[in-house]
Amino acid sequence: MSLADIRKKLDRKEISAVELTEEYLRKIEETDGKINSYITVCADTAIEDAKRAQEAIDEGRGGAFTGLPVSVKDNICTDGVKTTCASRMLEDFVPPYDATAVTKLKGAGAVILGKTNMDEFAMGGSSQTSYFGGVKNPYDTTRVTGGSSGGAAASVAAGLCAAALGSDTGGSVRQPAAFCGVTGLKPTYGAVSRWGLIAFASSLDQIGVVAESAEDAGYILNGIYGFDENDATSSKLATGGYTEKVGAYVSNIRIGVPKEFFADGIDDEVKTAVLKAVDYYKSLGCEITDVSLPSLEYAVSAYYLISSAEAASNLSRFDGIKYGYRSGLGEDYSDLIKNSRREGFGNEVKRRIMLGNYALCSGYYDAYYKNATRIRTQIRREYADIFEKCDVILTPTAPTTAYKIGEQENDPVKMYLADIYTVTVNIAGLPAISTTCGYDKNGMPIGMSLIGRAFDEKTIILVCDRFEKDFERKEAVL
Amino acid sequence: MRYVPVVGLEIHCELLTNSKVFCTCQNEFGGSENTRVCPRCSGMPGTLPLLNRGAVRLAAKAGYALGCTVHGYSAFDRKNYFYPDLPKAYQITQFDSPICTDGHVTVTGGKDIRINRIHIEEDAGKLVHDDYEGVSMADYNRCGVPLIEIVTEPDFRTVEEVQDFVEQVALRLKYAGVCDARMEQGSMRVDVNISIMPEGSDTFGTRAELKNLNSLKAIGRAIEYEIQRQSEILDAGGEVVQETRRYNDNHGDTKALRSKEEAHDYRYFPEPDIPPVRLTDGEMDEIRSEMPEMPQERFKRYTEVYKLPAEDAGLIIADKAFSDFYDAAVAINPDYKQISNLMLVELNRNLNEAETGMEDLKFTPEDLANTVKMASDGVISKNAAKEIVSIMFAEGGKPEDIAKKRGFIMSSDTSELDAAIDKVFAENVDSVESYKNGNEKVFGFLMGQVIRALGKGANPKLAKDALTEKLK
Amino acid sequence: MVNEELTRHLAELSKIEFTDDECAAMTKDMESIIALMDKVCEFDSSKKAYALDAVGYGDLRADEYKNSYPTEKITSNAKNVKNNSFVVPKVV
Repeated sequence: MSLADIRKKLDRKEISAVELTEEYLRKIEETDGKINSYITVCADTAIEDAKRAQEAIDEGRGGAFTGLPVSVKDNICTDGVKTTCASRMLEDFVPPYDATAVTKLKGAGAVILGKTNMDEFAMGGSSQTSYFGGVKNPYDTTRVTGGSSGGAAASVAAGLCAAALGSDTGGSVRQPAAFCGVTGLKPTYGAVSRWGLIAFASSLDQIGVVAESAEDAGYILNGIYGFDENDATSSKLATGGYTEKVGAYVSNIRIGVPKEFFADGIDDEVKTAVLKAVDYYKSLGCEITDVSLPSLEYAVSAYYLISSAEAASNLSRFDGIKYGYRSGLGEDYSDLIKNSRREGFGNEVKRRIMLGNYALCSGYYDAYYKNATRIRTQIRREYADIFEKCDVILTPTAPTTAYKIGEQENDPVKMYLADIYTVTVNIAGLPAISTTCGYDKNGMPIGMSLIGRAFDEKTIILVCDRFEKDFERKEAVL
Repeated sequence: MRYVPVVGLEIHCELLTNSKVFCTCQNEFGGSENTRVCPRCSGMPGTLPLLNRGAVRLAAKAGYALGCTVHGYSAFDRKNYFYPDLPKAYQITQFDSPICTDGHVTVTGGKDIRINRIHIEEDAGKLVHDDYEGVSMADYNRCGVPLIEIVTEPDFRTVEEVQDFVEQVALRLKYAGVCDARMEQGSMRVDVNISIMPEGSDTFGTRAELKNLNSLKAIGRAIEYEIQRQSEILDAGGEVVQETRRYNDNHGDTKALRSKEEAHDYRYFPEPDIPPVRLTDGEMDEIRSEMPEMPQERFKRYTEVYKLPAEDAGLIIADKAFSDFYDAAVAINPDYKQISNLMLVELNRNLNEAETGMEDLKFTPEDLANTVKMASDGVISKNAAKEIVSIMFAEGGKPEDIAKKRGFIMSSDTSELDAAIDKVFAENVDSVESYKNGNEKVFGFLMGQVIRALGKGANPKLAKDALTEKLK
Repeated sequence: MVNEELTRHLAELSKIEFTDDECAAMTKDMESIIALMDKVCEFDSSKKAYALDAVGYGDLRADEYKNSYPTEKITSNAKNVKNNSFVVPKVV
C-alpha cells in the first residue's frame, strides 16, 4: 500500500494509527525471524507513538507523517534506543540524542517501529557482516539482501514497515533496494542532515530512503530534507516538494546512457532488463543519448581509498573507553584499546581501517589518497559534462542480482568491484534512485538507477515513477 | 667547542571566545569533571563539528597583532593519533591552509623574528593520574577549547630574544583580546624547539622539543640546560636525538618523554565535516577595525609624542587596562608626565598594597586628570594631589570634594599671608637679619615657618613670592 | 610491497591487535585489495584534488554558548567511570 493510501486510511479513520502499528509489529514478530531485518524492535514506544499520533489525528492536528510506521537503519542515532551499527563494538550503545532525520520524522508524528540490520558500520554490500547475523532476502531467504541497508530494504520488501530510513555511502541504499525489489533513493549530498548518522565516510555518507515506490521515497524525503545548523555540510539548496512533479509528462526528458556501465562484468540478464527500460523511455518519446564517463575505470579504487581513509579516522574514536565494547585484556592504554578494537570490530571493518591508514600514511598519501581525490574532481567534471547533454542518467544498479549467501561476500575484491555502478554517484554527490526493472531466471529482482543533477531529486522521482506505473512488480512471498 | 643555539617556538594560546570551537559548550577554565561537555566535544558517534565564527575572528586578530597575512581562504584537517585526552582520536587543526602566515615581531636588539604561521585548532582534555590505583582519569571539559598555534621560524639565537618575543606576543594577544596569556594557568603554552651548532656554522643540528614550560624563567632555564646537555653530547662525539623532552621546574632539567610509538605518523587529511572558510576583504577590514592600538605603537607614542622616559612608557603599556586608563586621563588633561608619575608611583603603590587590579578601581580617568589639573593650577599642592589619589583609591569620591573636605584648597588670601609673615619675622628677628646680611640659606627655614603658620591651606607658591618680596 | 611488516605497521596505526594467524590472513587480504587500489596511482597527478566548497565567515555559527549535557548522559555508555571521569590504564 502506498504511503498516500495509508494516509487516506488513517485520515478517514478506516484504521487507527495504533491498529496500523500493531499490525506491523505483529507481522514483524511473525516473519522477521525468517529474514532478520530488525536488530531492535521498539514495540512499546511504537505503540505510545501511535497513540499520540491517533490523538493528533482525532484532534485534527494530523499531518503527512502522523501515524506512519517506519523503520530506521541502526547507524542512525535514536535517543534512548540502542544504536549498534550492527557491531559488537556498539552492541549496547544508547545515544543521548536523536539524529536530525529522526527528530523530523518523530516531530511530524511518524512511528518508529525499530532499528534495522545492516553490514557492520555500513561497510559492505551483502548485509552479512552484521554482528547480529546476516539479513536474508525476502524473495529467496538463501540469498543476500545486498547492503549495507539490507535490513531497511528487506523490511520494506517484506512489508515490515511502511518505509525505511537507510544510509548510502557507495550504494548502500540503492543496491539492497535493487536486490530486494523495492525502490531506494539516495539524495544529493547535503540534502539530508548527517547529524546523528554514525559516520562511515563523512564526505560520501547520505541518509536515504527505501520505500515501495519512487513516490513514497519522495514522500519520506519531504519529511527529512533540509539545511541543519548541526551539520556544516548540509545545504540550503534542497528545495522540498519532491513528489510534486509526479504524473507530469516525461517525453521532454533527455536520458543519458553511459556506455561504460554496460561493458564487461555485467550479467547478461541485468544488461537486457536495463536496456529494455531504456527502450521503454524511448517509446515514451524521451530523447536517449549515448554518454560517457571515461573515469569509471578508476571509480572503485578511488571510492575505496577515500571512504576507507575517512572511515579509519572516523572509527578511531571506538576505543572502549567512552562507550562501546571494552576488552578485559590489556595492561596499558595502548594494549587495552588494541584488544577492544580487535574483539569489537569484524573482519571487513578491520580491512577498511587498515586500507584507510595505508592510503593516509606517510609515503603512500600522495600516490593513493591524494590521487583518489583528484579522480574525484575528474568524475565530478565528467558528470557535469554529461548533464550538459541530458537531464537524467540511466544505469544498472548492480552488475548482478542477489547471490547466494556465502557465495562471494568473503572475497573483498569481488565485493568491492560489484560496487562499480553505484559509487560514482557518491563521489560526485549526486542524487540517484534505484527501482526494479525486471527479474532474472531465479525470480530475483533486477535494479536500474536514475541519476539526476545535484538537488534535482524531483526529476528522477518523476522519471522513476513513470516507469513504476507501467511495470508489474512481483511481491515477495515469505 | 663553543656552540650557538638555534631556537624556534610553537606557542599554543587559548582563545577568549564564549563557546568552544566546534560546539556550544561554554569556554571557561576549570569546573567539575565533565560538566562542560556535550555529545560533540566528547566525540559521541554521529556528531559533527560546528565551527565557531568567534574563533576565526580571534585567530585573524592574532594575525593582525603579529604582523601576519590573514588569508581569505583557510581549511581544516584532521591530525590522527590515539590518546585518552582526545576523544575523537583526531584533532581538528589547520595543516595545508592556515588562516595566517608570514608574520614577524621585532625583538630586543632590533632583530626580526619570523612567524611561519598561525592556525586554529582544538584543545584536548585533561588527565588526572591516580598512582595508587594505577589509572588515569579523563575529563573532557577542556576538549574543544579553541586554540591558535603560533609557529615561528628557527630565528632565535639567545634566551633574551626568546623571552622578549614571548613577552611581546603575550602582551599583544592580551591587547587584541585574543588570549589572556597566563602561562602558569596554561592558557598560553610555549614549546621550544632547540638545536645547537658550532659557532660560525650555518648548518642546524638535530633538535629537541621542550615541553611543560610554565613561565618565562622556565623557558630560560630549559634552554640553558638544553644547550649544556647538547654541547656535552656533541663534545663527547655523540649525536643529539630528535625527541620530545619534558622540562622539570624543580630540577631545572629536561627528560626525554618515554614513548612506545616510533615516529608519529599523524596521517593528516582534509576534514570532511567542515567546509573551508572564506573571509572577504570587507570582513577582514571589519575585523581589523576592531583591533586596538598595539603596545609597541603605544610605546612609540608615549616616548616620542608624550616624551615619557622609555622606562615609564614600558611600565605603562605592560598592562592594557593601566595603559587604557592613562590614555583616557591624558585625553582629558594632556599633562603626560604628571599623570604618568601619579599612576606609576601613587596608583601602583596602592594597587600593590591592596593586591587588587585596575578593574576594581573606584575612580575614573577623569578624576585623576582633574586631580593633576588642580595641582598644576595651584589650587592644591602636589603632595595633596598624591594624598587625593590614595583617598580616591580607598574610598572613591571626586577630587574637588575631597580637596574641600580635607582642607587641601590652598589659600589665596594675602592678608592672612601677610599676617603670617609678620608673625614669623617677629619671632625670628635673628634669622631675618642674617638673611639680609647675605645668608640666603635661611630662606628655606623662614619659608617652612610661614607654611606651618598657614596650616593645610597654604599655597607654597604665593607664600614664596610674598616672603621674597618682604625680605627685599 | 605488501608483507606482514606492513600489516604490523598499519595495525599499529589502526590500534588493532592481530594474532600471528590473523596477521597472515590480513596480509593476504591487503595484498589483493591494494593491488586493486594501485589503479589510482596511474592517474594524472597534475589534476586538481577535490575540496569542499568554502562557506562564508558570516555563515559560521555565532559565538554563543548554551547549556552542556548532564554529565551522566555523557558518561552513561562508558564501562569504567570514576569521579565522573573516564578511566583508562595509567598513561605517562
